[in-house]
Amino acid sequence: MEKISITLDVNGKLCELMVAPNDTLLEVLRDDLDLTGSKESCGEGVCGSCTVHIDGKPVRSCLTLALEAEGSKIKTVEGLANGDQLTDLQRSFINHGAVQCGFCTPGMLMSADALLNENPDPDRTEVKKALAGNICRCTGYAKIIEAVVHANHPHEGCPDCVPYRRSERKGEE
Amino acid sequence: MSDYAIIGKRMPRVDSRTKVMGKAKFTADLKLPGMLVGKILRSPLAHARILSIDTTKAESLPGVKAVVTGKDTEGVKWGVFAYTRDQQFIQTEKVRYIGDEVAGVAAVDEETALKALDLIDVEYEELPAVFEPMEAMASDTELIHEDFPNNINIHVNIDTGNVDENFAKAHYIREDTFVAAEESYFQAEPYAVVARFDHEECLEIWCPNGGPHMKSKPLSNAFKIPLHKVKVRKIAIGGAFGGRSEICPADYICALLAKKTNHPVKIVFTREENTIATRQGHSMITTHKTGVDENGQVLARETTCYMDGGAYSSTGPIATSVPFLSMEQAYRMGSVRYNGYRVYTNKPIRGMIRVHGRCFAAGLDIQLDLIAEQLGLDPVEMRLRNSRQPGEYTSTKSYVGSCAMDETIQKAAETSNWKEKFGKLPAYHGIGIGTNSVQTGFPMGIRGGSQSFIKFNEDGQATVMSGVVDNGQGNDNMLVQIAAEELGLLPKDIHLVSADTETTSSDPGSYSQVSTFVGGQAVMIAAKNCRKKLFDVASKILKVEPDTLVAKNRMIFVADDPEKSISIKKVVRVSLLNFNSVNAEGGYWPKVDMKREWVKNPYGQMCEAFSFGTTIVEVKVDPETGQVDVLNATACQDVGKALNPLVLEGQFEGSIAMGGQGGMLTEYHEWKDGRCLNSTMLDYKVPLACDMPEITNIIVESIDPKGPYGAKEAGMSIAMSAAQAYAAAVSNAIGVHMDSFPLTPDKILAAIKEKKAQETQAETAAMGKVN
Repeated sequence: MEKISITLDVNGKLCELMVAPNDTLLEVLRDDLDLTGSKESCGEGVCGSCTVHIDGKPVRSCLTLALEAEGSKIKTVEGLANGDQLTDLQRSFINHGAVQCGFCTPGMLMSADALLNENPDPDRTEVKKALAGNICRCTGYAKIIEAVVHANHPHEGCPDCVPYRRSERKGEE
Repeated sequence: MSDYAIIGKRMPRVDSRTKVMGKAKFTADLKLPGMLVGKILRSPLAHARILSIDTTKAESLPGVKAVVTGKDTEGVKWGVFAYTRDQQFIQTEKVRYIGDEVAGVAAVDEETALKALDLIDVEYEELPAVFEPMEAMASDTELIHEDFPNNINIHVNIDTGNVDENFAKAHYIREDTFVAAEESYFQAEPYAVVARFDHEECLEIWCPNGGPHMKSKPLSNAFKIPLHKVKVRKIAIGGAFGGRSEICPADYICALLAKKTNHPVKIVFTREENTIATRQGHSMITTHKTGVDENGQVLARETTCYMDGGAYSSTGPIATSVPFLSMEQAYRMGSVRYNGYRVYTNKPIRGMIRVHGRCFAAGLDIQLDLIAEQLGLDPVEMRLRNSRQPGEYTSTKSYVGSCAMDETIQKAAETSNWKEKFGKLPAYHGIGIGTNSVQTGFPMGIRGGSQSFIKFNEDGQATVMSGVVDNGQGNDNMLVQIAAEELGLLPKDIHLVSADTETTSSDPGSYSQVSTFVGGQAVMIAAKNCRKKLFDVASKILKVEPDTLVAKNRMIFVADDPEKSISIKKVVRVSLLNFNSVNAEGGYWPKVDMKREWVKNPYGQMCEAFSFGTTIVEVKVDPETGQVDVLNATACQDVGKALNPLVLEGQFEGSIAMGGQGGMLTEYHEWKDGRCLNSTMLDYKVPLACDMPEITNIIVESIDPKGPYGAKEAGMSIAMSAAQAYAAAVSNAIGVHMDSFPLTPDKILAAIKEKKAQETQAETAAMGKVN
């Protein structure tokens, strides 16, 4: 298939690319831009592992053509942290044990990040709803939900929220 | 002793930082120079003879670098045991299920590889196929494997004697049959493999695995190269749940293509391939006959189980035994007779799965509830009267050292307010209990032990080598925690080299729940040995006896006089200046009965420790839709010792999701003539965040005498008992004891309808009498 020249704005960088009209955004991110954080798990828009942001909204990059994303701001899991500086959400995932095998984690983070940008203090029901399109097979979701609910607002009763856990965390962070 | 610095703490996992940054590399993320794309041609027929394969058109397609068929394989076969080697990596004569490997292609890109698959011409002679175990055993058409009469692949017979005599003494006997459909793993990561042969003709391979050493040996056999030339590399793994324990034909095909093309090759499975062509859970038909005395104590049990094994043996002897073993560990059975039949059918291959035996276990527990009802006993009391006690032997003669089964039952019952709820809930509300026990290891013969090497570097930090693999459950963190604890370092001072067959010694792998017990213990022993070397040097510097020293927080100091101290870094440097390296090894081999064999001699010490778990769930059933709303779940397991409660809770919660919520309510496969109709994530319903109940975790620590820090299997007893608790709770809610799993709305509605019809009939009959 004939390739077309496009420019994608990914994680704040402009990338000039030659893509086939049927290349998905996920393929271009993974194969052409080496951004392999976004995963393909189902390939049919069900599991959410390929979730990225397009203009701040969470979308399935496996169902999005690369061509459609031109002119938009794309953000992938690699674009969450500022260098080595993790976001509160990423830190919350680590500290709450929300990561097991880690394959669904990038998609979970992108869905959760989009939620927190719209609603910085979601309750459990809101988090469950926002993550209903992201499948995790390891965790039973409990720690993921907790990590999102506590991301911006550490809870005093929670043993895994960092400000309340100084004694054990010496040398860890 | 509870003053550990790191063990027992809620330590966030060492591997999570790279995972939340999207930096962790999984197999499909790998890119090697000159890498080709591999694809596999699979059988479209359930049972057929291969008459001819013509690959000429495919080979001449521009961009195709190699095509391999069974002819290139020298007929090598795979089987976990010498007596179960029945699966060729690429079929030469027959295909036995829709998805069987027929050929492999390597090409410059995916499009070309897929086109090449279409150009391979295979001529088949279709054979009659069988899709159900009972039908397969009775079939008089061509056998699936000619050496196995009646298509019976494995028959496990366990008989402790006196079964009939004890049935004769029983106060009450009942016999019930339970069935369950197949289920699948749906690991987040679809199976993938990358292989290449390097300049020294070593095979280098990356793939999800349940134990790298379990991959290297069959590959060494298949390619007839020494073990040291097979380098299974470490890679992040996106879940296993028992489905990635064995060699996969794709591993061999990928390596063969790499060899033939002299290029690295990558094969990534589609979601459908991951469902069809890796492993699935067995479907089962289980009949339990149980006789009890007037107190509800089981005197005798006879269980017969037919398991649909699919087209090949896989872990057949283990799979046929484990559902029974889990229950004989959990409960005293009196005298017992077990006949397990694993039957070949023309369906995908079945292996071990996290909730292996949901039908078996849920059936046994539901039957206990039925017996309890008959005797007027509470289900919790019924379990306490039959629960395993420490110091006992199981029916198959395994000694049970640590066991807090009763405590898990009691604590789960207390926390869930069982007494206030059972029998007192509103209509269509229910509560149910399940208990289970899981092996900490299987008899693994020569690969049953694990060894670790530790070396200190001159900066005072350490490198730890271990064959243990992390499928996602947190084994890497477990090893680091143990090493840091013993060496007196911080977790970030430990560099872990693991799951790589070039640099690590043999290890049993993670799929028999033995990583902490054996692999972790090996690291613990190596670290203790290493610490001893540090203490020998430090004691001379500090002018004290070595046994007065402790190591913590990068320092070595006198226990009673902490001011007297020296940094570990300094001790390492002094040692090196005195021409002594600071490194050590350590190994652990579980003391199991090496004569125990799954089929020939299923008696003797199975493993050194068993975990015990209880789950209680409360549900609300909508009688109009059959939908189950799970209100809460209580998960309570005797884990020996919780090395890291944060990680452990995650195992419990994941177990409730896969074992109960998915395993008992939504997960099963549908078929048409051997073709799986729901192989994708769209069609196969796994639990979502919004489906999950609130989960209360209760950790019970029995401190196993043999386990590292007292630890043993952690989490699997919850996965298994969750299935039982869900089944019991739904049964309790609708007042019908369910016998066909999973409990989908159609079955629940049918049961409610039938019950109503019976009640109406009974009422009519009663009115008739009055009149």
